Amino acid sequence: MNKKVLNLVPKLLIPAVIVSLLIFPSCPAGTPEISSYTIADSTGDWGYPSPYAHYSRGPGYTRMSFIFETLVWKDTSGFIPQLAKEWEYDEEENAYIFRLRNNVTWHDGTKFTADDVVFTFGYTQQHLFQWVDSSIVKSAEAIDEYTVKLYLSKPYAPFFQDVAGTQPIMPRHIWESIEEPEKFAAPETVIGTGPYTLADYSKEHGTYLYRAYADYYLGKPFVDEIKFVKISAEMIPAALKEGSVSAGDIPPEVVSEMEKAGLAVITAPVAWNAKMMINHQKEPLSSKQFRQALAYAIDRESLVQITQRGYALAGSPGMMPPTSDWYNPDTPQYEYDPAKAKQLLEGLEYKLEDGYFTKDDRLLEMELLTTSDFKEVGQFVKQQLEEVGIKIDFRTMEAKTVDAKVGAWDFDLSIYGHGALYDPAFLKKWITDEDFKSARYTSNETLNQLLEAQLTEMDIEKRKGLVFQIQEVYAEDLPALTLYYPKWYWAHDGTVNLFYTMDGMAFGVPIPMNRLSFVK
Amino acid sequence: MFSKRNLVAYAIAFLFILVLNFALPRMMPGDPLMAIYGDEALIAMTPELKAQLVERFALDKPLWQQFGAYFLALFQGKLGYSYYYNAPVLSVILGRLPWTLLLVGTSLVLSTMLGIILGIESGWRRGSRTDRAMLAGLMSLNGFPDFFLGMLLLIAFGVTLGIFPLAGALTPYSGLSGLALVMDILRHLFLPVAALTLAHLANGYLLTRNTMITVLKEPYMLTAKAKGLSQRVLKYRHAGRNSMLPVVTQTGIWMGRVVTGALFVELVFAYPGVGYLTYEALLARDYPIIQGVFLMVAISVLVANFLIDLSYPKLDPRVSYAY
Repeated sequence: MNKKVLNLVPKLLIPAVIVSLLIFPSCPAGTPEISSYTIADSTGDWGYPSPYAHYSRGPGYTRMSFIFETLVWKDTSGFIPQLAKEWEYDEEENAYIFRLRNNVTWHDGTKFTADDVVFTFGYTQQHLFQWVDSSIVKSAEAIDEYTVKLYLSKPYAPFFQDVAGTQPIMPRHIWESIEEPEKFAAPETVIGTGPYTLADYSKEHGTYLYRAYADYYLGKPFVDEIKFVKISAEMIPAALKEGSVSAGDIPPEVVSEMEKAGLAVITAPVAWNAKMMINHQKEPLSSKQFRQALAYAIDRESLVQITQRGYALAGSPGMMPPTSDWYNPDTPQYEYDPAKAKQLLEGLEYKLEDGYFTKDDRLLEMELLTTSDFKEVGQFVKQQLEEVGIKIDFRTMEAKTVDAKVGAWDFDLSIYGHGALYDPAFLKKWITDEDFKSARYTSNETLNQLLEAQLTEMDIEKRKGLVFQIQEVYAEDLPALTLYYPKWYWAHDGTVNLFYTMDGMAFGVPIPMNRLSFVK
Repeated sequence: MFSKRNLVAYAIAFLFILVLNFALPRMMPGDPLMAIYGDEALIAMTPELKAQLVERFALDKPLWQQFGAYFLALFQGKLGYSYYYNAPVLSVILGRLPWTLLLVGTSLVLSTMLGIILGIESGWRRGSRTDRAMLAGLMSLNGFPDFFLGMLLLIAFGVTLGIFPLAGALTPYSGLSGLALVMDILRHLFLPVAALTLAHLANGYLLTRNTMITVLKEPYMLTAKAKGLSQRVLKYRHAGRNSMLPVVTQTGIWMGRVVTGALFVELVFAYPGVGYLTYEALLARDYPIIQGVFLMVAISVLVANFLIDLSYPKLDPRVSYAY
């Protein structure tokens, strides 16, 4: 299949739709009805919305989260009670005690009790739940019918984010007889405690139909039916305008057009970053000064304006986005300064000859490797680095080849992106993990210790201090350089108050589809 | 009629495809298990499962034994398992196949029939104003790729005029049934079929017209005319039938691509066919699905070829003596 042509289709379609929207004013959005709410999605199918059968992506979790609930949940400002109404931390025993609501029922009418929570944490020891590390909760114990105590295997700071707010609680009376949960997608596996029940799911058409659960403990949701339908990304703005869908994500270019049409537009706190991977195992990139010179040489503000048409935030060298509560404003920023970059290189005994640096008569030349997704960004970086005198051999390759080469340290520079930038627990994953998507930087002992310490620091202020230090050290060492954080937008008809959850839903899903929007 | 030699050729081609399908993921950089199972393997695979899969694919065995295991699984109808969809590849593909067949089948029939009729009419009137107009019109249509026509149609009739739906194969959860449901499906089918038909119409038309012009000069046409046959019989039975051979070949080639032939159009209209599935699989790097689709395409090309070989002697008995 010709990938170029594949890429061409959306590229041609987006401007075409924008132009047509500008030229032909379409009819205003129809009168919204709360009996039914339709959400557009360009992928459509995210798997059967049971805890084990949904696809391991944020939208898959989101579809499940309308049916299954967690002990705690989040709204716009942070953690709130969900199945648990209150909780406390027992420092001595390193355990959490959750007091559960006593008026919750499963969709089949059975009462929800502490036993279901104990069962869930036991079951996930046998059958790993894809989003939660089952080794964190050592054991679970029911103190009485509505109190449960979870013993942790070690102090774990992001416990709420990663476990209590992510692990869906499953009914014992159904799951105890299921041996192979991944392969089992029957109606009983979508019996949860949530505000909605699944009425239909179509894999081929990528559609979901949810119905309000009348006996929901917080009151019957005010939207009777929620539909998820599949529409190509380019057609979502048109569908929103004609009123055939109530909400959907939109490309940044049509934001003002959508607002003019009377639709509400919301934007997410940034949750994804594109970063330059640097082979810090190899000369001359193993030198900190050299890596800093690279950072000074790349104008990240212009990069955002030119390659992202301004719809992004310039990257912070500490990786943590400036929109985060955990962001350290004192992180070294390496403001664009090509003279400083040259000066640093000269300090490393490079000599500028005919526009390029050389050392011992050898040209300073490196390879920049990306997939075609980052072609424009790669071009920009090449141009900027060549301006200060580093010759760049820029190549785009098929994704698997790039991954394999980066994985084997067979590269100089590469550009690559990843999400999960909410809870600082991610820092450890993206800095020291042995995964090719991580910087795999373990040679700074201070950094290693800080990364470990913040994971187990249960005091939030102290943890914040550690996270601030991590950003400073990481930005100083620069084993990789965050280039930008793209901005994402959703438009909706305003009948339901959609919002972005603080730090993302559950483990950090940056989708404004919090089930709480449909309740109360 | 159909020689043994032909059958052997098909068998060799089929075997070659199987070998290629077997070898490709194993030739990719990195862990073959990753290539066979795609990116999801990274996320979803526990060490026990990995060991189990290595055993199932005989990845720890010599190559010829691996091929044996692969061959055996294939004949049990096992095309592999997609970790992204958490389902066997065959069932994922079969779920999408009816929609592709509906879309591509309809447009194939329409574009072939229309192409032949227009070609015959145009060739019969060679040099006339109608002929020239048709030739120019269809030639320029031929220059548009199908997805581009699809986009134009979608923007005109879907976005601007709002006559046709913007996406999908039916209105989800509309509660329609019976005739209303059929009408809904047809309404969704209209634009993608129109795009595919228009884009491929010119091929059949040009081929038929060209052959028609040659055929019209044949002495038997003069004889037929001298017999006093009606114009309709002359045009369709005598000249038309003899002009169809190249179109049949061409349709056959197209038929082989039924499975993925509508990829771009399916993409534009978010139509739930195999083409769209292929696109999604490419994005998700879901190799089992890509391989499954590849195998199906290869097999349908073989089957289409086989059918053409069978139908040739019926259209033109001379082909049987061509060896």
